[in-house]
Amino acid sequence: MLEAKNIGYWYDKKDSYLYKDVNLNFEKGKSYAILGSSGSGKTTFLSLVAGLDKPKEGEILFNDSQINKIGLTNYRKNCVSIVFQAYNLLPYMTAIQNVTTAMDITQSERSNRKEYALASLANVGIDSSLASKPVSKLSGGQQQRVAIVRAMCCEHDLIVADEPTGNLDEQTSKDIITLFQKIAHEQNKCVIMVTHEKEVAEACDYIYELKNKEFQLV
Amino acid sequence: MNFLKRALLSVKVKKGRSLLLCAIFTVILIFILAGLTIQSASLKAADNAKQSLGATATLSANRENALSQNQESDSSTDSDSSDSSSGRPDAGSFSLTPVSISTATKISKLDNVSSYSILSSTSAGAGDDIEPISSADTTDSSTTTDSSADSNAQGMPGGGSSKQFGAGNAQGDFSISGVLSSALASDFSDETAKLTSGEAITKEDEGTNNVLIEKSLAEANDLKVGDTFTISNPTDEDTTYKMTVKGIYKTTSSSDSLGMNFNFLNPSNTLYTSYTFANTLKGDDYTDTADSVTYTLSDPEKLDAFVKAAKKLINTDTFSLETNDQTYQQMIEPISNVASFAKNIVLLVTGAGIIILSLIVMITIRERRYEIGVLLSIGESRLKVVFQFFVELFVIMLVSLVIAGFSGRIVGNVVGQQLLDQQTSATTSSSSNTQQAGGQQGGGQRGGQRGGFGNIGASSATSAKQIKKLDITLSAQEIGTLGAIGLGICFISVLLSSIGILRLQPKKILTT
Repeated sequence: MLEAKNIGYWYDKKDSYLYKDVNLNFEKGKSYAILGSSGSGKTTFLSLVAGLDKPKEGEILFNDSQINKIGLTNYRKNCVSIVFQAYNLLPYMTAIQNVTTAMDITQSERSNRKEYALASLANVGIDSSLASKPVSKLSGGQQQRVAIVRAMCCEHDLIVADEPTGNLDEQTSKDIITLFQKIAHEQNKCVIMVTHEKEVAEACDYIYELKNKEFQLV
Repeated sequence: MNFLKRALLSVKVKKGRSLLLCAIFTVILIFILAGLTIQSASLKAADNAKQSLGATATLSANRENALSQNQESDSSTDSDSSDSSSGRPDAGSFSLTPVSISTATKISKLDNVSSYSILSSTSAGAGDDIEPISSADTTDSSTTTDSSADSNAQGMPGGGSSKQFGAGNAQGDFSISGVLSSALASDFSDETAKLTSGEAITKEDEGTNNVLIEKSLAEANDLKVGDTFTISNPTDEDTTYKMTVKGIYKTTSSSDSLGMNFNFLNPSNTLYTSYTFANTLKGDDYTDTADSVTYTLSDPEKLDAFVKAAKKLINTDTFSLETNDQTYQQMIEPISNVASFAKNIVLLVTGAGIIILSLIVMITIRERRYEIGVLLSIGESRLKVVFQFFVELFVIMLVSLVIAGFSGRIVGNVVGQQLLDQQTSATTSSSSNTQQAGGQQGGGQRGGQRGGFGNIGASSATSAKQIKKLDITLSAQEIGTLGAIGLGICFISVLLSSIGILRLQPKKILTT
């Protein structure tokens, strides 16, 4: 479904590659972990596959179409959902409004968006009273679950998550990882997760380790 | 339409920011509305002034040309003469050609002439059965007889028949205003003189000795409508005329210091007769002539066209046709200054509003980089993000517009009246200096209409009244204009601030 072909990236100088000739494939119904130490470039790789940035070399194909040709804005709108480490919810909105806003932007085909969002939030333990609160009043774990529901409700085939458990306690992290596994397996989505935590990575179907500027399947 | 929902939600939730923007926008709109209402009221007042003043053109002898021709002939005579007094113009040779009634009638038949008035002025001496009013009589009517006697005793002019008159001085005791219709004479049309009994002088009085006399003069001489009295010719004391009082009028004009010295300059000693009688007094050369003829037009806008057409019928070297444009200009000068100032207020506040709001929106957008990044990462287009900010500002502007609509008229009234008061006092002081200089030349419409005596000797309230009050009202058109300006401010402010948004990359926004 998603293919990275001969991807190369550098920040300032071409001769100081972050990585070069990266070739990876990602399939629907599977979860992938990209493991690496801090500063190895795993978040940068995620921003490339999420359409937040462009690779310096090579190309990224989504369902055999170059995402540059789809247009990065259109790609983000129609193909990929992103879950950030810092949740990145709109602070002046409630949980339910954050979810429905994303559904509106991505032009979700569901007619009962609010009910669907409420039901989805309830599935991850955010009841209607919590869902009606401004997200700034929710805990970190609750906010991350709202961010995941926001990604799920857009019903894109690809969900990318950048350190989704980075700010959470152990139990909440386990719950979040379980949630991602369910999304991948039960909803037939492709989930790519960037993490530096081995325990989190081991819960995924495949692990790519970014080491010495190369991706290695573990 | 998602961006509309987000915009409304943002305005509702971020109350502090919305209130701040609303307060600033309201102040800006109030000043703009004040400027607009002042400007509109000024234009309306100027238009009303033009309508109320009407348009008049006065045909009279071309004094300027006559004077310069006189000076030229004097200088040519001087070169041939060794007379020691050659440096002075010869007063006896300076003469003005009166306007012929036939020419005046031809002009009156041009398009847009609604009416015309004829004025032929002269003076007359008092007969044995009438005493003119002296200045002392006018100021204190209870001492009429005494002061008159005192004046006589002191040999001052004004007490009884003037000795000066008998000595060949053609000033006389009475000022004769010969008119076609007294109702069209400037004193009556300006309401400084009002008929209190009897009837006005009309065209029917041509060839008669009917006269309108002033109330003080009538009371002092116990004259009533229908009574008769005699006056004498200014150049021949022995030639007398029996006048019949057709009406009595009351004037609010008063003598000035010059009028204190001469009876004929006292407004109470002005007699209104038919112009034909005034011409009889002046002599045979003046038959079927007038000092001036004033035409009133039905449409002020056609004044220039009328003057152009009329000038084809007269010799412009001998006659001049002056319009009342100067009076109009004098009348609207303060209002024009206020209108110009109001226009500058609108431009200045609009410019300042754009700058201030652009800066505030820029600052708020910088604070909302994170929000913009989130929206862009979800897939929202940059254009819709810009639209969201525009709608937010537009909603705030609508609230400000309502507040400004209620308070702008009050501010406009206060500011407009203060501006007008300042302008009125400034232009009054400057125009009074001009009038002092110009009045003695007897030029312009007023001078022409009053003929030979002009306005000398009487301070009248007939000079152009400056507009001293603005009727500031709020119309739908001004609210519409204000809304359009507000919309423009929103648009430009957001556009300027959006340059930053359009350049933002979501990854950079979210990672910084």
